[in-house]
Amino acid sequence: MSKCVLLVDDEEDVRAIAKLGLEMGAGWKVLSASSGLEALDMAAVHQPDVILLDMMMPEMDGRMTLRKLKENSATQAIPVILVTAKVQPSDQASFAELEVAAVFSKPFRPLALAQQINQALGWPAESPM
Amino acid sequence: MSKPSVSTPKADILVIDDTPENLHLLSTMLTERGYKVRSVTKGLTGLRGAQAAAPDLILLDINMPQMNGYEVCQKLKEDDRTREIPVIFISALGDVLDKVKAFTVGGVDYIAKPFQVEEVLARIENHLTTRRLQKQLLTQNIQLQQEIRERRQAEEKFTKAFRASPNPIAIMTLAEGRFVEVNPSFLRMSGYTREEIMGCLAADLNLGFTQDSYHQAIQRLQETEALQNHEFEFRTRSNETRIVLLSTELIDLSGDRCVLNIFNDITERKRLENEFISLVSHELRTPMNSMIGSLDLLATGQLGALTEQGKQVLNIAITNTERLVRLVNDILDLERMKSGKITMQKVKCNAVDLLTQAAEAMQGMADQSHVQLITEAITADLWADPDRILQTLTNLLSNAIKFSEPGGAVWLAASMENGEQGIGDRENGVGRDPSALKIYVRDQGRGIPTEKLQTIFERFQQVDASDSRKKGGTGLGLAICRNIVEQHNGRIWAESTLGQGSTFNVTLPLYRN
Repeated sequence: MSKCVLLVDDEEDVRAIAKLGLEMGAGWKVLSASSGLEALDMAAVHQPDVILLDMMMPEMDGRMTLRKLKENSATQAIPVILVTAKVQPSDQASFAELEVAAVFSKPFRPLALAQQINQALGWPAESPM
Repeated sequence: MSKPSVSTPKADILVIDDTPENLHLLSTMLTERGYKVRSVTKGLTGLRGAQAAAPDLILLDINMPQMNGYEVCQKLKEDDRTREIPVIFISALGDVLDKVKAFTVGGVDYIAKPFQVEEVLARIENHLTTRRLQKQLLTQNIQLQQEIRERRQAEEKFTKAFRASPNPIAIMTLAEGRFVEVNPSFLRMSGYTREEIMGCLAADLNLGFTQDSYHQAIQRLQETEALQNHEFEFRTRSNETRIVLLSTELIDLSGDRCVLNIFNDITERKRLENEFISLVSHELRTPMNSMIGSLDLLATGQLGALTEQGKQVLNIAITNTERLVRLVNDILDLERMKSGKITMQKVKCNAVDLLTQAAEAMQGMADQSHVQLITEAITADLWADPDRILQTLTNLLSNAIKFSEPGGAVWLAASMENGEQGIGDRENGVGRDPSALKIYVRDQGRGIPTEKLQTIFERFQQVDASDSRKKGGTGLGLAICRNIVEQHNGRIWAESTLGQGSTFNVTLPLYRN
């Protein structure tokens, strides 16, 4: 079954590539939000299957967005995967206390993204389109 | 009683006497003895002659018309040009008063007529000698005063430079490392007061820089006389670490061999540098992320089929972007290690596992390069961060394989090591690790020139500047390895024979209960 992913990243290029990768690689439906605030609304309205959330964003960062998502009963059940350029063990440790399904590090391979999400969330693998 | 005056054949004597017979007698007698004689019959003429060219001695008659001997003598003593010339009066006036007057006006001696030739000669010789010695003393005195002035000036210059220098300076004895003198900048940097530091042994103050590496530097200093800009970590009184560049000179302080240590505190510079690197690296990552993603998507061919040449160009773009990612990752990694943002997650781990894992990880690369990878592990428990040790070993293996010819072999092996090879805090007498494990990676590659054996562990210091391009490295691998090993209180070093191969050694502390 085709999944719906909400991409949250302030970088337009990163959104475009991830979108292409997920669409081409797995045939998923992809929604994009360029800020944390926009993501909160879109998540509540569209109820995606998973949210890919960038950590470093201006104004409302990933951490804050995550907290708001988890505070809202309409969005708290949606699994969130953090995407970050910080990949050091010490950073990883600080993510451990967050309510996230997984942490992906940048740079990611767009075509492998769907597979990565499947693995992280325990979804069955599907053959690429 | 008088010797022929061979010692002063050129002494110039002026004889002033109005009696021609006397003049002739004296003149002949003196000339015979090798003196240079000028003789005049008038006081005034004699005076002018002396002023024009000062003789070494004057024989002066008292009783003369127009200007008598006393007057001549007085005039001589009034004039700077003639004041110092010894004047011996010769006169028939036997009165005591005349003698007194002769000395009062400045004469050095008085000879009564009729005189004995030998006596006159002896007296002349005597006064010439006295005069010569006097002159010598005067010259020496002037020289000494000049020297004192120069020394005082040099001392003042040095003292001022020493006190006012923004560079911390410390003078220590060579033998013991005892503080002899420090400047205010040094006190500021170290946080110690003058009283706390003077006379103390550097080792007792635990200043960090007096560790092994400093002793090695001092040893080299004794061979080369001066050392410049060696990087050390300096520990302040409040246990803060400052990064310093140390330049040293050997100096002699009243017979004591001392070391003049001039520091350059580059802590702030380093911090800014690291901050900059970190910033740049983060800013580079974001666009690189997009580049890699875009290239990956293009490579699938799903966005349109590429010609063979198009694929070739795309491959070039992918390879280079990947290299850029590695480089940025390495820079970040190193910067974070150096700034202490990464700490080693040390656990008890088995050497066999680590070596096996490292070999397995590199087997693919070895196969591709047709290099035989031989592992000889031994069982030992290490106290280490397994991920970081693995990173170190795979890095060394990767280098070894890269620089091996097809058909060559690379060894990964380990042996027990006695800990007296500079591991642990020998300085503090702690000796935490009496024994350690030595892991080595050996290849049969082209080898490393001796002068590069140390520097290859610095950032961007490959043996050949083109290596990073040809071999796909970042120039940071060994710097990262060294950092990891040092954070384990271990040691890393290379040994090599040109044309025969290199061995990279790593010592790591054993796990202790």
